[in-house]
Amino acid sequence: MIPWAQGAALLVTAAGLVAAPAAYRMVGDARRALAVLLDFLTAAGLVRLSGDLSWNGVLTAAAVIALRHLITFGLTPSRSGSAPGARPWVR
Amino acid sequence: MIMSVELLPESTLSDVIGLMVRLVEFAGALVIFLGAAWAFVQFAKAGLKGRGRVAGFNRIRLSLGRFLVLGLEFQLAGDVLRTAVAPSFTEIGQLAAIAAIRTALNYFLGREIAQERAELARGEAPEGRRPAEGMPT
Repeated sequence: MIPWAQGAALLVTAAGLVAAPAAYRMVGDARRALAVLLDFLTAAGLVRLSGDLSWNGVLTAAAVIALRHLITFGLTPSRSGSAPGARPWVR
Repeated sequence: MIMSVELLPESTLSDVIGLMVRLVEFAGALVIFLGAAWAFVQFAKAGLKGRGRVAGFNRIRLSLGRFLVLGLEFQLAGDVLRTAVAPSFTEIGQLAAIAAIRTALNYFLGREIAQERAELARGEAPEGRRPAEGMPT
């Protein structure tokens, strides 16, 4: 992997780890703070992917992105306002 | 005796495209990095000021999403350039996987940005309320 991409990705990850608590302090909502952290992790994955054109890099970035969507989907309340996971599958 | 004159040798074309790909990908990574740095500064400043800044929070996330989409556009441009020179099936496979990931992410980020923009336009939505499409943010 290209060193600058690795360094930049690490910096973005660290920024996310600091920005998420700041976002929590800002809105007082853990779900939104987690979304901010996942935004930064996605950014880090994309930066890393630009410097690493290998199967390992591709799969890592895809795993981060898939995990991000899985977590946010699981934490998003359904329209009826019920608990996470109780989202109706048939609309 | 046959004399052939190559105006643009394949190796030169490969080198030029490789350089362009690196430049475009670097530009994309730079845009994403700058967006993340900007969002970090904004979150840190707003976090120090305290609570009750939900509209500001949405605006910062929206801007971060725009930076991500812009950086992805650059990276997709790099992928398109790479298709000009892809000598092996392994490289073509990697290229297809990366392009698929970036295109899917670009699509989802675009939808999220549209939803956040709609929320901002009609004022802050009540807690837990999601847009009609129901896509996660």
